[in-house]
Order: sequence, then structure tokens, then C-alpha cells
Amino acid sequence: MKQYDAIIIGGGHNGLVTAAYLARAGKSVLVLERRPRVGGAAVTEEIFPGFKFSMFSYVVSLLRPEIIRDLDLPRHGLHILPLESTVTPMENGNYLAAWADHDETRRELYRHSPRDAEAYDEYGHLMHFMARAVKPILSMVPPDPTSFAPGDLAGLLKLGKHFRGLGAERLHALVKLMTMSSADFLDEWFETDVLKATKSASGIIGTFLGPRSPGTAYVLLHHYMGELDGVFRAWGFAKGGTGAVSEAIASAARGFGAEIRCDAGVSKVMVKSGRAIGVALENGDELRASTIVSSLDPRRTFLQLLEKGDLPDDLIGDIRRFKFRGSSGKVNLALSGLPKFACMPDGGPGGRLHRGAVSISPSLDYVERAYDDAKYGEFSRRPYMDIVFPSMIDPGMAPPGKHVMSIFVQYAPYNQNGGWTDAKREAFGDAVVNTVESFAPGFKSLILHRQVITPLDIEKITGLSEGNIFAGELALHQLFFLRPAPGWAKFTTPVRGFYQAGSGTHPGGGIMGASGRLAAMTILKNGR
Amino acid sequence: MTAKSGEGRRVDVVVIGGDVNGLVAAHYLARAGRRVVVVQERREIASEWETGWVPPQIIRELGLATPRLRIEAPDPWITAPLSGGGGLALSRDVAKSAEAIKRVSPADAAKWPEFCARMHRLAGVLEALYLQPAPDVESRDVGELIRLGRLGMRVRRLGKQTVIDLLRILPMSIAELLDDWFESDALKGVLGALGVWHLKQGPRSGGTAFNFLHHHVGSAVGVFRPPRSNVREVLEGLPGVEVVQGDPPPARVVVSSADPKTAFEPYQAQLDPEFMRAVHNIKARNCVVRGSLGGTPPGAPQCVAPSLDYLERAYDDAKYGRPSANPYVETFGNEIHVQYAATVDSGLESRVAAALGVPAYQVRLQTPNGHLYHGELTLDQILFMRPVPGWSRYRTPVPELYLCGAGTHPGGGIPGAAGRNAAKVILKET
Repeated sequence: MKQYDAIIIGGGHNGLVTAAYLARAGKSVLVLERRPRVGGAAVTEEIFPGFKFSMFSYVVSLLRPEIIRDLDLPRHGLHILPLESTVTPMENGNYLAAWADHDETRRELYRHSPRDAEAYDEYGHLMHFMARAVKPILSMVPPDPTSFAPGDLAGLLKLGKHFRGLGAERLHALVKLMTMSSADFLDEWFETDVLKATKSASGIIGTFLGPRSPGTAYVLLHHYMGELDGVFRAWGFAKGGTGAVSEAIASAARGFGAEIRCDAGVSKVMVKSGRAIGVALENGDELRASTIVSSLDPRRTFLQLLEKGDLPDDLIGDIRRFKFRGSSGKVNLALSGLPKFACMPDGGPGGRLHRGAVSISPSLDYVERAYDDAKYGEFSRRPYMDIVFPSMIDPGMAPPGKHVMSIFVQYAPYNQNGGWTDAKREAFGDAVVNTVESFAPGFKSLILHRQVITPLDIEKITGLSEGNIFAGELALHQLFFLRPAPGWAKFTTPVRGFYQAGSGTHPGGGIMGASGRLAAMTILKNGR
Repeated sequence: MTAKSGEGRRVDVVVIGGDVNGLVAAHYLARAGRRVVVVQERREIASEWETGWVPPQIIRELGLATPRLRIEAPDPWITAPLSGGGGLALSRDVAKSAEAIKRVSPADAAKWPEFCARMHRLAGVLEALYLQPAPDVESRDVGELIRLGRLGMRVRRLGKQTVIDLLRILPMSIAELLDDWFESDALKGVLGALGVWHLKQGPRSGGTAFNFLHHHVGSAVGVFRPPRSNVREVLEGLPGVEVVQGDPPPARVVVSSADPKTAFEPYQAQLDPEFMRAVHNIKARNCVVRGSLGGTPPGAPQCVAPSLDYLERAYDDAKYGRPSANPYVETFGNEIHVQYAATVDSGLESRVAAALGVPAYQVRLQTPNGHLYHGELTLDQILFMRPVPGWSRYRTPVPELYLCGAGTHPGGGIPGAAGRNAAKVILKET
């Protein structure tokens, strides 16, 4: 039997990034993926004949540029197409648009509020700066604030210095971003409700919080950190869907000599006297390696792959308390043509509405009400939605003349009252479709096929606990040295030779790959 | 005690505002030899009682421990009706409370002593932070850096668990915190109510766990309601400072216990627009209406907040600008606290009466004049961010003006703490 240096459990983008970095350093690496294809939540699938979908995660913005560079991903087929605009249809037939051209966006905003147009630049500068200020933290292994070890003290000191180096004004802005609700934060800048609603919507993505809940301003920033080729706040599609990102990383990993095995679910990590020695597969096979890495979420990493006796009680308690609470769903549609939105029936010059995102966030109260439904265990009757038409940018995604429409939906609580059933799933799909119809009359007649994905489906298919798209909520008390648990935020675990590398570790969330890279760095530094 | 006018006399310090913080600041300054005049607005018809923990340092240093001083810390400190009849009464004695909780949930009763101990330790950290000016994280001053370092070491010495709790719990919602520990709706309702106390947030909003701990500061282990006292009355009777009404006499230093927006109003023209913007951005959304209960006051404080969902729904109404259809109601003696409502609408008194199970004519509510704390206690408005970022040290951009009210560190609910901290800074700087 072949002995590997490292076995990576889970072939999602983080697992693949870890594998690529380890293989690049000369280790013999095996990736084990439960599904027939790599990618985890970043997969492209032909769900209906001729129609391809980025089934779950659908935009790329957070992928770390150093990973693109180090792994030479463009050579492995990664090609990002820009997603340049966002149009928010309003309930009165008007709209708010953010276009690729900055001056045009300002003019558009001026139409709604001269004061906001004025504040827009200053706000943009601040967020840009804040994103840069937080950026170094994304590539840092979190120091342990409770430890007196020299390395941790030095890390804390470095962190303190970094923050103080920002200067008073920026430090205050950072504290506000970390603690405020996105609605309150935006209230300090803008008066146009639809602008605040659309901006704050990016603060609630993947959380079980409303725009008026403190803690959402941080997610606002988290999404601002998206950078492509060094340009902040540039979102894009991967040509071929988000699965192409995973494929590119997998190809890079293979290029460095890593082996990737699909249809190979892992049931247990084998532990002998406090050391990981290998894994047991679902089919009964056993594989050995001196280093085992789990890129699964913390709940499965600690509570499923290991035995209770392998872990200290307080860690088990901490992981049990770690919040997942999936809140997002997805509706993927195959269309016979493009829907006409009442606010812009021709789709604007060059049909640019359909080349960008359409945000269903007409007012703060609208988004807040969507949250209220979920808070009491029901999917939103009129949900917040982020809609894109990938076939407009990448024609290969649909047969000629036809289109695919991807609708990210919030909120759909994992713990739906009475549990998710087939009927509930369809009712949820109907709520989504009917809400779109109210902004785009006639849209329903264009639907050829429909796939509705609830958080329970996300959990069943990808394994993400409670269907949380970030592998654990991005809440302030679940970040940095608390992600996933105090004392275990440095990618190690209490089992020697067993590491964690998924989005449930720092910095987590989005197709970022930072967790996978930091985990690989930690493993290489530890010399095994 | 009260003169007609302070004009024509030389004074060093004028304190604007005769509330507890203003009076405490005035007395500390007077004791240090400053000639102090307090200018009091005509007093609102308010209760003789001040809710909140008065730091014992103030009582000792100003000699307030006279027979006149009454501090009410009732036992049981709260009672709550149970849906199945009967009530939950929580006592000052932890074991006795655990006995009472056992009847609703044996599991919760078993966790009660540890919960109480953990929360008390965390509140102790806040207490230490509150009895001095807020740490200045931007300072380049060696003395301040040493103070920061000491503070950090002091917290770390409390042990790993306390440090983790502190980092983890402060940004949490009170609902998440309580769900981690307990299962009983009644118990979680009673405790959750303290998390939203004077805050326009629901129990599922982040930062409400901090608000819970803030209001636990100074209380005994296992007591999660602040006491009340007649400290203002006692301070008013204390010799040493002159209290006047009307226009303030000229003075070198002006100390205001008013809320920051009011305090800065006369100086608007000379202030930086950026600064005024920050002042304008202070969140002080009032959501509490108070009043009095006729008839014989109930023996122990009563809390009507049967579950976290009940509180959350009460907040939902407030979120969309409506008073709660089913408000959270609490009594202390014959005082009533109603949340969430910014004003007294026509049906509110009867809704409150229904919640308390008393006839409507016994409930008299009053629309308050602004936020009692001069600024909500949210995480972005505490410590070095209070009252506005960078101006937490009681001084202001107006050289002669200092603040000492609830709008400054450590905020409302701790009468006199801001006044004492401010006086110390003023004595050092003027």
C-alpha cells in the first residue's frame, strides 16, 4: 500500500489549494473527494441538457491573488469575466444602477440624491482603504490572545501596531465596521433608501442576520475585499462557471504531482496514541499518511471524523456551539429568453442590465421583513435576491438563444418550521419566481426548467453543515482567533498530524482559498 | 442651597445639569478647592429614584452613606408569571434561585450557579474599565501605554476562560448566549430583557450580550437587575456647591452633563463640520416609556417578557416605527418600564395594564424627553468611541468645555461614574 506524506479530506477549493501548495513543496499528496467531481460548493453542473450552472457559489471575487500567482491558475484554464453592473428594480417602477463607469454611476446616484452622489466617492475611498487595512490579516495565522508563548505575544503586538498604524480616523471606522449594523453604518453616509438596501444586502449574505442587526457591517467589508488583478470590488464569473476555478486549482495540484481521487468519501480519521495515522474510507479501505488534513467544516472535522475520546471536552463544547444556521438558497433556471424588467424593459444600451447583477432589494424594510420571516422559521415570502445571467457573459453555459439564470436567495432557514419537504421546497421556489415576476411581468412564461436548492439540499449535496455557505457563520465571535474555536484557530488540532483547512477556519468564507493556503503554510512550517 | 442667580460672583467651574453625573462632578471639583456652581434646568417631574449601580467609591469619597441614603435591592429581584400558572421568582441567593428554576427546568437549575459566576467575572472586568477614563488606544503617551499594558495583563491574569469569554461573548447576541446555556423560555425572557434594556435592538441582535453585562456591573452574583437609589436626592442635600437656576455665570471651565447634541449646540459655529457630523451620528433612539403604577405596589419587581421570541416580536414593531403591540413591561415598586415605545400612544396604557393584569386606570405613562442614556450602549458607542470616536476623555474641541453625562464613558445605568471620571480629568487638566 502506498504511503502518502499527506491526505487531504475534501476536494473543495480550499482542500485543493492545500494539496497544490503541499505538492508544490515536494510532498506526496492524495486528495479524497466524496462526490464524483471536485469543487465542493464551487462546481459547474449540466443540470438540464445543454444548460450549465454554477450550482451553488456563482461569483468569484475573493480568490486571493497570491494563490492565482503561486499556482499559475490562468495557465490551468482560469479565466475571469467581469461582472460590471448592478441594477436594483424598485417597487415604484424606478431603479437604481451602479455601472462599470464610475462617473455614470455618480450621475445615476445624483438622480436619486445629489447629497449621496457627493458622499459616494468619499465612502468608496474609505471602504477601499479599510479593505486594504484588513487585507494583511487575511494572510496571517491568528495569534492566540490567551497564550503567553513568545510567538503569540509577538503576533498580538504586531496586530496592535498594525491597527495603531492606521491612524485615529481609520481605526474608528474599523471599530464601527466591526460592530455596527450595515443599515446604521450606511445611515451615517447616505439618505437614499434603495442605495442603503442594496449596499446592506451584501452585508447579510450568508448570515442569519438582517440589515439592522449589528455585525452585518463587517460582512459589507468582507465582500469589499474582493479583488481581481488588484482591482477592489470587482466581481466576476469564471469562464465555464465556478467549477472551472476548482478545476484550475485541481489541474495545478496535479501538475505538482498531487493525486486526486473522487467517489472516495472518508468516514474516519484513524488516531493512535494521540496521532493521526491515516483515514478509513466509506468503502472500508484504509489509507495511511503522516499528515491528515480536513477541509470539511468544523462540525464534521471534529465531531464526525474523530472520536469523542480524541478531543478535550471544552473543544467539543465549543464546536457544538459554533453557529452554522444556513440561511441562503439557490434557484437555477433554464430560460427560453431574457426576462424584461419593468424598470428597464430594453435592458439598457447593449442589454447591459442582463450582463450584470440584478439585486432584488428595493428598500431596507423589504430586506428586513425578509429576515423577519426567517427569524421565526419560515422562508421569506418576498426574499432578497441576487440575480445573474451567466449565459450573457459566457455563451457556452446555455444552448444558442437560450439562457441560464442564477438566483441567490435569502432567507431560507435551515430549520424551516416543520422541516423541509418536497412541497416546502417547491413553495419556496414559487415565492422566488413570483417575486421576480412582480418586477419582471411575463418572466414566468420563459421558464423551461427550474432547480430549487434549500439549505438542507446544500447540506446533503456538499456536506456543508446546515447548508451554511461559509462553512460557519461569519459573525464577529466566530472570526480570527475564535474561528472555529478559541485555542484552535491556527489550523492545528489536538490530534497530532491532523490539520484543518476549510472555510470554517480563519479567514473563511467565499471562494477565497486563504484558509487552504495558510493551512499548507502551517503544515510545511511544522515539518510534516 | 438654591440661590436665585449666580451672577456677579467669580466661579471656576460651571456645571450645567443637576443630574447625578453633574452633581457628582461638581462635588469632586468642589472638594478639590474649585468654586463650583451647578446650573439646574427645571426638573422634569421624575421619580425620586435613580436606577442603576452607584459605585461605592463615590458613596465613600463624597460621604453619601448617611441615614438618608436608601439603596433598594429587593429580594427576590424579579418575578415572572409562568404560562402554565404560578411564577418564577429569582432570589439574591443563588441556591434559592436554582431551586425555583428547577421547577421549570432541572437542567437550567444545574447550570445556574456556573452561569452566575462566569457572568459576574466578566462584569468585574467591565467594572474595572468603568471606574477610570476609557483606555486610549491611539495614545503615543508612555504613561497611557503602560496603563493599557497593565490593563491587558490584568485581564489575562483572570485566566484563559475569562479572556475567551470576554472576546467571544461581548459581540454576541443575548439570545445566542442564553441559548448556549438554558432551555427555559421564562428564564431566558427574564435575562434577555436585561440585554435589550434601554436599547433599540432585539435579543437576537449582536452586542446585546454586552448590554446585559453592562447592566450586571456592580450587582451581586446571580442578580441581573440594577438596584435603585435616592442618590440624587442625597447629592442635592450635600453642602459644598451652589445650585442655581437660569443663566450660568461666566467661568473658566464649563462642564455639561447634558446629552452631547444639546451640549455642543451653542458652539456649533466654531466646531469642525466633521466633528459635528460625528455628534449628529450618535445613535440615541429612545424606545422606553416609563410611568407609575397606582394602587399598592407589588412586593417584588415583575417582569413580563415570557420568552426571547416575545421580546424579539416587541422589537420587530419598533423596527418599523411602531410601538410594540405586546410590549415588554417591568415594574420596580410602583415604577413601570415599557419597551419598545418612543411615545405614549392611545392604546399603550391599556396594553401595559393587560400585560400586568391590572385595571387600565392604574397605569400612568409619560413620554420621555430623549434617550435616558444620551446614546445607546452599542459596541460602536462605548469606551474610546463614546460619546464620539476620539473624544472619550471628557474634553472636547471647545477648550473650556468638558462633558460628564451619561453620553460619555462609561455610559448610562451607572449613575455618577462618568461624573467622577470627568472630574478627575478636569482636575488634572485645568
